[in-house]
Amino acid sequence: MVDEPVAKQLVEAIIGNLPEPVPGKRPVHTIGMGVKGKFVASDVARTYCVAEHFNGTPVDVSVRFSNGLGGLQQHDGWSDVRGMATRFHLSDGTGSDLIATTLGEFFVRNVEDFFEFAKVAKLEPYRRRHWLLKIADFLKLKVPPRNPYPNETESVDAGALRYANGHRFSQLGIFQVAAIGAPESYARASYHAVHTFWVTAPDEVRRPVRFSWQPVAGVRNIDAADVSHDKYLFKELEDRLNRWPARFMLMMTVGEEGDALDDPTKPWPGTRTRIAMGTLTLTEVPKDQEAAGERISFNPCRLAPGIEVSNDPILNARRCAYEVSRKMRGGCPFTWSPNNANPA
Amino acid sequence: MPIPRDERAIDRFVDRLPENPLFKFLASRILVPLWARWTPVKPLPGGPHPSFQRGDNVQCMMNLIMPLKDKSPVGRALAALAIAQNKDAIFAGLNNVGTVHFARFVIVGDNICMFSVYDGDFTNYIRDFIATIGSVFNAVVGLVEGGEKVLPCEKNVEAFIQWVHERDLYQVPDTPTDFLRDQEALNGDRAVSPVNDDLTLLPRKLVLQLRVNPNVSLGSGYRAYPGFSVAQVRKQLGLGW
Repeated sequence: MVDEPVAKQLVEAIIGNLPEPVPGKRPVHTIGMGVKGKFVASDVARTYCVAEHFNGTPVDVSVRFSNGLGGLQQHDGWSDVRGMATRFHLSDGTGSDLIATTLGEFFVRNVEDFFEFAKVAKLEPYRRRHWLLKIADFLKLKVPPRNPYPNETESVDAGALRYANGHRFSQLGIFQVAAIGAPESYARASYHAVHTFWVTAPDEVRRPVRFSWQPVAGVRNIDAADVSHDKYLFKELEDRLNRWPARFMLMMTVGEEGDALDDPTKPWPGTRTRIAMGTLTLTEVPKDQEAAGERISFNPCRLAPGIEVSNDPILNARRCAYEVSRKMRGGCPFTWSPNNANPA
Repeated sequence: MPIPRDERAIDRFVDRLPENPLFKFLASRILVPLWARWTPVKPLPGGPHPSFQRGDNVQCMMNLIMPLKDKSPVGRALAALAIAQNKDAIFAGLNNVGTVHFARFVIVGDNICMFSVYDGDFTNYIRDFIATIGSVFNAVVGLVEGGEKVLPCEKNVEAFIQWVHERDLYQVPDTPTDFLRDQEALNGDRAVSPVNDDLTLLPRKLVLQLRVNPNVSLGSGYRAYPGFSVAQVRKQLGLGW
């Protein structure tokens, strides 16, 4: 497990690479909106996991959708990882969190990898590639780097590519980030919790699993060539929920022996058993966004009894790193305890 | 308000070059052959990627593309008849094999194709087929280029298995990086290389691979109930086994 000094270094490595760190706000996923709804487990969910929110009784949820970039500039139309942090509000006042992003796999295996990545993938000036160099790329059957977005002057893309070219384990995550695009709506993207968790069934069988949210409305991105889109996601979701609810299916993939249980850079094959664990129905964008999302301190290790963390080093590092970040911005405290009875 | 764009006309022209018909023509007729000569690529083998894991050994996909000897409507009709006249044999045989989820014969252009989803090991799967519907295979393979070498299949089992394997499509992995690892494994390249591990070379590597593997299966495919064998599905549905 990562201790607090290392967690502080992790957070500082992230903040140090931001164009404009914002005191009192999340260093990354700064821009976000809170939404309320309910989760209802499927009729088979309880046979796989004893956690309360899988027993079939409808559970209130708070969800915070977010843009991955740090800072207060909102660039909804930029290609960027999006976040979906979900708090299941349990009957005893505690909570269970599920933090997911549109990135299917992570780009580092452990804390050491992350520190090295942070050194290499620094913000650098980002300019349009000269047209002669682009022609040279085409002649080499290569795709040139994308054009900068309007007003984009810095990017970590070049550094991330250098890191990927020297570390094969990171290539999938970095490739996915480069190709991720911008969703038409927060409600039209798939979100993946990336890490492996262990769930315990009523018969005490434990299974390694990975969770994903899949939008019932389907996945759809905006046209990547249209860079005029900006600041549309909040209004889109409000308008959408004013008309009808937005729904997601919670899919749980069950790992097998031999799968990468503790390595978030490695995907599991599409041939793994996939369970539909339930449906999330989002109904409302609350007026009080501080209470609905900004002040909620999600933590990937806040888990209901029946769900446990794996030995994934990044998942375990996030426990402390999120807590350091929470303290820095004055969010609600999270105290991890072995039986996972964590106050919401 | 639209955000101002700072690109010049030459930038816009170059950005759209890949869509330009003349550039596409030059790329396919000159650039691709040149790069194929400078950086030759070996064909990747077909069939599912070997795996010891249970979930990877059920619902495996086979995609056979077999060019017909007679590339005319008559040839295609003969291939269709070879299947139609053996429908009972095919159904009885597949029921007896017991590990086939789905199987289809399809004529595409001048090819007769077989697409199937099965459980277990590929070689055992073909052996089971030879044992149960060998006569159908003899009828179909006799109409296919190069087929006479392995007929009758009951007497040329190993050669027939190899022949089928050579016509089973390469299954492009679900991730682009696994595709790169397949190429590296074929070339014996395990070391990280500053030249070969340039992610910006992925488009070229893919184009050149599809030049030598013109027919491929894209990804592992969608499964509504992954991880379950024929026996488990039939048992769960109460269909008898």
